[in-house]
Amino acid sequence: MDRNDSFREFVAAHQQSLMRTAYLLTGDAHLAEDLLQTVLLKVLGRWFKLSRIDSPEAYARKALLNQHISWRRRRAGAELPSTAPPERVYSSEDSTVVRLVMRQALMRLPPRQRAVIVLRFYEDRTERETAELLNCSIGTVKSQVHHALARLRDLAPHLAPKFAELDDIREAHG
Amino acid sequence: MTWLRGVLNDLADDSPEVDLAEQTIRIYERRRQTALSLVAAALLVVTALGVTTAVRLLPSKPDAATLGTVTDLPSRGVGPVSYAYRTFCQPETGKVPPRCKDGGWRVVTRTGRTYRVPEALPSLSGYRIGNYRPRGEGPLDSPLAISQDGRKIAYYGAEESTFVVRDLASGERWTAPAKVPEAWLGSLSHLLLSRDGHFLAFTKNPPLKDPAMLIDMRERILRPLPNGWNPIGLSEDGGTVTLAQYAPKSRLQTMSRLWTTSSAGNATTVDLPQSYFFSPLAPDGKTVMAIENRGTPSEPCRKGDLVRLDARTGEALQRIALSGLFADGHQISLRTWRSANEVTALTMPVQCRPAPKQDSSLPKEQGDPPYVTMTAYAVNIKTGKVRKISTYTAQSFFDIVLPGPTGAL
Repeated sequence: MDRNDSFREFVAAHQQSLMRTAYLLTGDAHLAEDLLQTVLLKVLGRWFKLSRIDSPEAYARKALLNQHISWRRRRAGAELPSTAPPERVYSSEDSTVVRLVMRQALMRLPPRQRAVIVLRFYEDRTERETAELLNCSIGTVKSQVHHALARLRDLAPHLAPKFAELDDIREAHG
Repeated sequence: MTWLRGVLNDLADDSPEVDLAEQTIRIYERRRQTALSLVAAALLVVTALGVTTAVRLLPSKPDAATLGTVTDLPSRGVGPVSYAYRTFCQPETGKVPPRCKDGGWRVVTRTGRTYRVPEALPSLSGYRIGNYRPRGEGPLDSPLAISQDGRKIAYYGAEESTFVVRDLASGERWTAPAKVPEAWLGSLSHLLLSRDGHFLAFTKNPPLKDPAMLIDMRERILRPLPNGWNPIGLSEDGGTVTLAQYAPKSRLQTMSRLWTTSSAGNATTVDLPQSYFFSPLAPDGKTVMAIENRGTPSEPCRKGDLVRLDARTGEALQRIALSGLFADGHQISLRTWRSANEVTALTMPVQCRPAPKQDSSLPKEQGDPPYVTMTAYAVNIKTGKVRKISTYTAQSFFDIVLPGPTGAL
């Protein structure tokens, strides 16, 4: 098996999961593909070393987050939601509208806050794992989660009861 | 946390399905080669500044390995190819590929290097009237096939006047035992290479009276096949071949025991009740996927469902609605099976207009078709899910070859 074959195997096994995270981070299919492509190029460049460690996937995931945050810094101000959230009152049980509203609200979060939401609530990472992936302290993760949820509550006021439930659960676990 | 997780999961379900491995390898190799070229150029400048002005710099030969350049296929040491395309050099619109060789084949490796195949006989364009063979014999289609693993190619050798199979890495070549006159190639020719390159099937259209053939390239023996059919499947032992016909009506034929009887073996032919475009024979060796052709003179591009057919009986075993990706504005050609459940669908945008009324005057001189972008998708035949694999540039479905058997358009 040559170097490219093992890389192909790695991509086949992990690209869809990485793509899902990339999509949540960017909110756009093309940007997500660009982001993942950039990261896979980095992975391939280091494949000789990475293929000998236990989890090249962890490296790829960390690179994905760092690349997203650094892109967002450079592109600050360039990214805006394509449409405004619906003006009408909607039910928090209407999954299609909830998804649309949440997508737009997520896109309005600063990149680090978006990343902590994705890591903590989508990937189900612990605070420690999230801190390691984002190269920050556990305290920073906690405060970023707090600020991100507060911002999401502001951006999607109709979903406030749902966020309140989240707070209750967090406190109960906290 | 389940509510938010559920919403994020729903959102993530909208993410595109992609296959970025080959693209990443291609881009990486291209950048590496560019970087190497830049380093080489920088070294050259430093050296040139260091030596006396009396030193004459010889013109540099193009670097065969540099991407973007097209060189002849080396005799050995070439990695697996991901596709091949044919170049006709007078497109009516758009750009012509650099160093275009009229009717010549090019192969593109998985790492993105492009090589011409000068040993393969060039084709004569069917689009340009003045390009027809003498005596009004019409165009000439010189076929090329790639083995499923991309490591071998088969083509009509201009020098050998017959078919040649070539191992790209070792350079080993196998030549068919009999000469095949160029006239037998017809205006639409088909080659199918068995998985290990041991057997090669050749057929052509129009059928005329020339024989088609199955060739054992190692033992150097032949068996006749009927012409006017497309070979879409060949068993590992070369004993069973599956053929398809899409015009004037759709038919499937299975010929078996081809090497154990002195005659052409046992053949089963089934006429299908409607018109289909066929995939290659599925890895199960028993079924084919097909797209219903519902085109009419007034609506030429209408397509129906994707159907799984029993190759021997023609029975429709499964029906999948085609994704919106394959709207009627696209032509589809079913190609390589990527796994037992995924078949490649090559798509090309087309402007679908009703056929013009028959004009009895002489055909007008026209150029070759422009180079267009084709997109390949992997279609999961269990779930109907579709994911993008790659894009290619070629002039028509007849001018692009992917590894493994080709379906019947």
